[in-house]
Amino acid sequence: MWRYLGRRLIQVPLVLLVVSLMTFLITRATPGDPVQIMLGMQTSKEAADAMRAEFNLDRPLPVQYGLWVARVVAGDLGRSIRLNDPVTTLLAERFPVSLQLACAGMLFALLVSIPLGVLAALRRNSWIDYLCTGYTVAGFAIPNFGLALLLIWLFSIKLDWLPITGIGSSEAEAGGFWTYLKPYIIPAIALGTLQTAILTRLLRSSMIDVLSQDYMRTARAKGLLPGTVVVVHALKNAMIPFVTMAAVQFGYMIGIQVTIEYIFAVPGMGSAVLNAVVNRDFPVIQGFTLVISLFFLFANILADMLYAVLDPRIRY
Amino acid sequence: MNNRVTRRGFAAGAIGTGLLLGTGRAPALAQGKRDLRVGVWGGEFGNLSPVIRYDIQGGLVLYNIFDSLVQIDFAKRTIEPMLALEWANPDPLTWRIKLREGVKWQKGFGEFTAEDVAYCWNFHIESKSFQVGTALFPVDSVKADSKYVVEVKTKLPFGAFPGVTMGYGGTIISAKAHKEMGNQAYSATPVGNGAFQIDSKRGTEITLVKNPDYWKPGFPKLDKIVYRAIPDSTTRLQALVKNELDFITHPDPKEVGAMRKNANFVVKSTPGWEWDFQQFNLKAKPDAPWQNKLVRQAISYAIDREAIVNEIYYGEAIATDNQIPAGYMGYRQPLLKYPKNGDLKKAKELMAQAGVKGYEVEVITSDKDWLRKELELVAAMVSQIGINYKIKNMDMGGYNNLWLNQRYDQVLEDITLVAPDPDATSWWFLHAKGMASAYNSPPMDGMLDGARSELDQKKREAIYHKIVDTTLEECPLIYHCNTSNIQIYNKNLKGFTPTPQEYIEKLDTVEWG
Repeated sequence: MWRYLGRRLIQVPLVLLVVSLMTFLITRATPGDPVQIMLGMQTSKEAADAMRAEFNLDRPLPVQYGLWVARVVAGDLGRSIRLNDPVTTLLAERFPVSLQLACAGMLFALLVSIPLGVLAALRRNSWIDYLCTGYTVAGFAIPNFGLALLLIWLFSIKLDWLPITGIGSSEAEAGGFWTYLKPYIIPAIALGTLQTAILTRLLRSSMIDVLSQDYMRTARAKGLLPGTVVVVHALKNAMIPFVTMAAVQFGYMIGIQVTIEYIFAVPGMGSAVLNAVVNRDFPVIQGFTLVISLFFLFANILADMLYAVLDPRIRY
Repeated sequence: MNNRVTRRGFAAGAIGTGLLLGTGRAPALAQGKRDLRVGVWGGEFGNLSPVIRYDIQGGLVLYNIFDSLVQIDFAKRTIEPMLALEWANPDPLTWRIKLREGVKWQKGFGEFTAEDVAYCWNFHIESKSFQVGTALFPVDSVKADSKYVVEVKTKLPFGAFPGVTMGYGGTIISAKAHKEMGNQAYSATPVGNGAFQIDSKRGTEITLVKNPDYWKPGFPKLDKIVYRAIPDSTTRLQALVKNELDFITHPDPKEVGAMRKNANFVVKSTPGWEWDFQQFNLKAKPDAPWQNKLVRQAISYAIDREAIVNEIYYGEAIATDNQIPAGYMGYRQPLLKYPKNGDLKKAKELMAQAGVKGYEVEVITSDKDWLRKELELVAAMVSQIGINYKIKNMDMGGYNNLWLNQRYDQVLEDITLVAPDPDATSWWFLHAKGMASAYNSPPMDGMLDGARSELDQKKREAIYHKIVDTTLEECPLIYHCNTSNIQIYNKNLKGFTPTPQEYIEKLDTVEWG
């Protein structure tokens, strides 16, 4: 397994190089000049030229890319054209917020999908199963922004239980644990509901498959308690594809937060990338894409590793 | 017209319904409260240094950290002293500025002097900053003539010097702090001379605290302001209603009517220095029908500006047909030639007179929701005179690329201007050398250059009247309306004075009642 891990880790820089080159080419091929956007129409050629030179935008494309790669290798992701802050500073502000929101969303997804998936499998073709299936269909069908608005209407406006904004604010950080946690609840539910649907369905089918295996009959025949049979013998085996999928979905969650960030004013990575794209802020787009890709790659590697840990039959 | 439901529209509708049905939380008790939570639009705050280009939400913060050399009296349409007490031009190419004494830089960086002004403007010029093209382009040299007197030599007589150079270019950096901190650190946590100083800054939140050494006795009234950038206008408004914020800017105009009925909040709506306009590319396609000024006039007559104000901005704008709004030198009235509801009969007559029966043209706009809707409305209006607008929405980067390089036939867009002088509203759009101009008229260029170099403000005003009249006749641009700057805040807040200038929302006079 260690050799496999080593091989995967060696691939990471190569994948990142390809991703960064693609990002670089796509951003440069998109119409729009960041200097023009930044300086607007009341400017002079000298000011525009000076700004282009400052950000190496006056150099040939291969040189621009080469300079950027050289900087990245040295740990410098450049400076935002629009915000004038180092990209690493922006990442240090934004990444923890996105990670916390992704963790909160995944926690919600796990807390809901595991009991629902198990219950639906154990009570197959009963009203409980139909209810769980209905929930997963709804989870797939409702867009996260629509769900977010419904949740805001219910929990923030009608019931006045939870705030709409506050993630990443100094006010929330200065308060106690509950003050800090409260603003995450609605966004986490809105973000995690799709994953709940995906994981519930997967766990249900996985559990049904496991429950029909011979070793389950053996476990029951040995007189084990029903709870032990389900948790130790069925759930543990059914969790193999579940854990893999959960890890992959966790990787996705970092990249799909943008709508939720917009609605709840979350200062995360998605909104930063969106603003950067609109303003053609090349260093931010490239830096953030690189980090998001890196996160996704590690989530995938983690999934593969967990697969081997959970299933003794799998050896790399 | 297209009535599809957009994500944003759905969001506004759903939460707007909640806003009307929900009671909201009563505003916080005002007694003893000395801090303010402000929600502004946009994704994040960027640079806060006056020597690096900043955007509008950054400007809102910046103007509370820095005082400017001059301020505008919007009622009298004059430039008034602030950190500069008086100014004069002993000869057409020299300006001498006398500074206020006793103004201190924040955080112990000493006194504000002429050396700071000279350092700041020279830094702009040497670093070729954005202001080289905006406010400092006429400046040849700057020096401190004494501790409190700055002498500026210009390359040409520049009548807009007090408004443009000392106004828009008049936020000065501390030479000592800038040298010690460096340009990058100064941009993140600048040292100013205004009512508030920066306490902390993170991407979407900035905290300002009272400047204990502020030169105006008794000000600011507040101890702390926390600015939060909240991109969605509906979320921003709901956060205000739920008492997560005390003051917001840029609510969705659709929601303003309901908020006016809510006794817990105050709504301020001030027609701003923002224009919605159509522009024709008159530098290309010489045989195109819109090269005929009668066709352009017909389009202007076909526009029902009041309908735009009501349908798109829910009344939070004023119809205008010209480029000089209230508060600017040269202002006369919003509508000078074209009726607020248009004149379809006259428009059809002009089309007949031009010998143009109808044509199709691609009109581009950026991806702002309201502009897309406005363009659809305008397209319906001009279709009545046989003109078919092919609408193309682009993201801001793509739009700017076409607009500023004159690679379009026609645009519909909005713009905010900050320099308090009609030069800013006319030169860049109408002069053949203006970055946003697609018009080439030597007589117009002569008037624009003449107004720039005229030092007698009365004579300048007369020239701008001629420029406006010519614009209305030639229609290289057709103006629709000035949209309003809207603020909504807790009813217990006192002392806020709105202005038409979106950048400047000074909060030094604001206090809890």
